[in-house]
Amino acid sequence: MANDSQFREVEHTADRAFTVRGRDLAELFVLAAHALCAIQGQPTDTQETVSREVEVSGVDRETLLVNWLNEILYLQDVHQESYSGFQVIAISETFLRASLHGEPNASIRRSIKAVTFHGLKIERLPDGWEATLVVDV
Amino acid sequence: MGKPSPTRTIARSDFKRISEQVWEIPRDFREDMRAPARLYADEALLEASLTDNSVEQLVNTATLPGIVKYAIAMPDIHQGYGFPIGGVVATKLPDGIISPGGVGYDINCGVRLLASEALAEEISPFLNDLASAIYRNCPSGVGVHGEIKLQDAELDKVLVEGARWTRERSLARKEDLEHTEEFGAMPGADPEYVSHKARERGRGQLGTLGAGNHFIEVDRVTEVYDETVAERLGLFPGQAVVQIHCGSRGFGHQVCEDYVARFQKTVRDLGIELPDRELVCAPFASEDGQQYFHAMACAANFAFANRQVLAGHIRRSFEQVLAGKVLAFDLHQVYDIAHNMAKIEEHEVGGTRMQVCVHRKGATRAFGPGSPGLPDDLRDIGQPVLIPGSMGTASYVLIGTLDSMERTFGSTCHGAGRVWSRARARKMVRGEELRQELKSRGIAVRAGSISGLAEEAPQAYKDVSRVVDVVERAGIGKKVARLEPVAVVKG
Repeated sequence: MANDSQFREVEHTADRAFTVRGRDLAELFVLAAHALCAIQGQPTDTQETVSREVEVSGVDRETLLVNWLNEILYLQDVHQESYSGFQVIAISETFLRASLHGEPNASIRRSIKAVTFHGLKIERLPDGWEATLVVDV
Repeated sequence: MGKPSPTRTIARSDFKRISEQVWEIPRDFREDMRAPARLYADEALLEASLTDNSVEQLVNTATLPGIVKYAIAMPDIHQGYGFPIGGVVATKLPDGIISPGGVGYDINCGVRLLASEALAEEISPFLNDLASAIYRNCPSGVGVHGEIKLQDAELDKVLVEGARWTRERSLARKEDLEHTEEFGAMPGADPEYVSHKARERGRGQLGTLGAGNHFIEVDRVTEVYDETVAERLGLFPGQAVVQIHCGSRGFGHQVCEDYVARFQKTVRDLGIELPDRELVCAPFASEDGQQYFHAMACAANFAFANRQVLAGHIRRSFEQVLAGKVLAFDLHQVYDIAHNMAKIEEHEVGGTRMQVCVHRKGATRAFGPGSPGLPDDLRDIGQPVLIPGSMGTASYVLIGTLDSMERTFGSTCHGAGRVWSRARARKMVRGEELRQELKSRGIAVRAGSISGLAEEAPQAYKDVSRVVDVVERAGIGKKVARLEPVAVVKG
């Protein structure tokens, strides 16, 4: 589960915004998923009794990141599961294959309707990548 | 004036005062603006709007291709994503754009008002039981499923028929549908343009409240400002009424997600330059624009059906708790409004009547007397407008005006508008203390999440009375009645 050193919440009046950093794109995507779960107030100690594999695409890496996070919200909603483990199997600028691990009977305290493109940035830093995202709550 | 970049902070001095309640950022403020931007506010609300990025978001919407007159923001404006909350943009058809972000993820989030014939004081001895029954009968919480499971063919019917679908299940009365915006079914819905994922999210969620700022509230009518209109709406002082605030649940979220993601490529292909990627759009008449509109209408209908099923659950709760104890507990529908929607309407622009696509993102249609689309029994008085306040504070019933048709494409505000972030609200307010405070004021609270309760604390919002006073003084809505809560049910 992401902690304060891995993502930082940014002030937003109505919704929630955060920045997250990773050493490479794969880590960035995993830590962004953890940040999403932390914002939803999910438990950090899920049993990881269910696993799902997903493939996501997007016209660029920003779209890919938003689509990945929205895919997690979709799976949560449809299967009523919560996820705490994320592994990137393959990633490019426009394609991601990843696995999610979690448990049924999701215990999600705070609602996120969707991850938005508002103010969306993925920036290259000297030592990795940083993304800024706003989620609709 | 120079040509500031989209990132420049907007100051009060950038506004030109048009009238007591109307402030304008001229079109030449930024090179990419295609129209001026107008904000409805008094001095204090104008200052409040400058404390976050909401005015910049308003200016961004003034860049949308095909925009007519001006980008408009209501006094409950606050920072959203893409559009500000409280934003209204109309684009000229057929070539003007439609933007999924201008409707938002909770397509047809809206408010329904039901009214009993009983006084609030008659039901007050049973209030705790009533709040518990509503909480029990109306499933709430994140991603919650309801008792209705829709197979594909039945889901298609919901998406086309909206609230009308519930008549077969005896969950709607004829007069409920007549007193619902679009009569409970938005035209243009075509399930063919809805994704498999949206279907999967929607099939179990009909008749559920959800979480976040959605609520069911039992209120007392504490003041009537316009006796004639109130009487026509069946409202009187001291009366017990019920508000339902929710939308299209995961179904609507998925429809918006699908098209915002898809339109990232559309704007690139069409060479449409935008200051924010959440504003992605497509010409209304294009294949992309039409497909989004068909899918959005499906989500709007899902929301109308959702509020209708919840209304049925609430009527059942009233009967379970009050039958044999209170005589006139039956609930009639005052009206049901949408405050996140894009609609095809005819308005006058520059002396010419034209068809426009009106985006209302956290804004309410407020059609004046004689307008098309109103039920026969209300046509002479105008459309009822339902303005929920923040939790524990007043809400208002307004009536639409002729001036709103002329000035704001028949639109007015939608609520109080946030001023504190959720993080700040959680830091400043303890959920349990808030629950106790509401209880000490005689308000029964049933909430699934205590931290969620803190996020919706009244301190986190603007004063709804001030917001409503501005729209009334500006002539874009007229006060009819004030409501105050006696029971609040939240996910």
